[in-house]
Amino acid sequence: MTIPDELLTDLMTSTEEVFETMVFKPLVRVPAPDTESTGKGANVVASVAFAGHRRGLVSIHSSLDAAKAIAGAMLGIAVEDLNGEVPDAMGEVANMVAGTFRNKLAAVEPASAIAVPTVTMGSDFATTYLSAVSRARCPFELEGQPIAVELILTGEGHGRRRERTN
Amino acid sequence: MRFLIVDDSSTMRRIIINTLNKLGYKEFHEAGNGREGVDKLATTAVDMVITDWNMPEMSGIDFIKAVRANEATKALPVLMVTTNAAEDDIKEALRAGVNNYVVKPFTPDTIKDKIQAALKA
Repeated sequence: MTIPDELLTDLMTSTEEVFETMVFKPLVRVPAPDTESTGKGANVVASVAFAGHRRGLVSIHSSLDAAKAIAGAMLGIAVEDLNGEVPDAMGEVANMVAGTFRNKLAAVEPASAIAVPTVTMGSDFATTYLSAVSRARCPFELEGQPIAVELILTGEGHGRRRERTN
Repeated sequence: MRFLIVDDSSTMRRIIINTLNKLGYKEFHEAGNGREGVDKLATTAVDMVITDWNMPEMSGIDFIKAVRANEATKALPVLMVTTNAAEDDIKEALRAGVNNYVVKPFTPDTIKDKIQAALKA
């Protein structure tokens, strides 16, 4: 099942809000690639699961250099002075993106709960999922470096948003 | 003015401290979850608490309830900084005893305004 465009719009807007307000670096939307990506090539994947009215995962995929640039900007320190802060910083970015996305949905439907972030860092890995899930990847660039935000929905969480009437 | 910042993310604690520094505040204490926050308050005098909601071991909501249940800390101004911004979230936080509420992502002006509002509450 395809993820509705309105959910992806909310996810992209949430991501842009977080980067503009807390990372102080603007994201540029770029066209999605023709083939579905497995995330191979990304060095950092920060994910936050959510459950309740919807079930799924929001993940940020980036290169290590982009992740360092994000951490340095958030913390107000030079990239060369970073000392192990990247995983926590990327987890916090994922937490804020997932939380902002969840809040946008909660304005028109029952709220889902989000979990604490998990961060994977490495040089040669790919992400795969069960065939029963729906996935959509929203690509961006940050100062020329590719970054992607991915939404994965499972079970009953695929539907369009309901407009709240009261 | 002395702050206790309770957040499991060291990044967010640093961001909040950087923000408070820009606002002219200079004394900070840190805790990584609600349990550590309770322990810190038992040994350290502060003038305001800033806490996250979603944390391992003891959540921000349970931490605030513990603060309000303790005679020595029950009057402390508490500001919650969290991504949880649904209407029901805010009601739950107010029931637990927060004085004011900041939704992440936030700007320094928002923090400044909410601190002032929490101090007046």
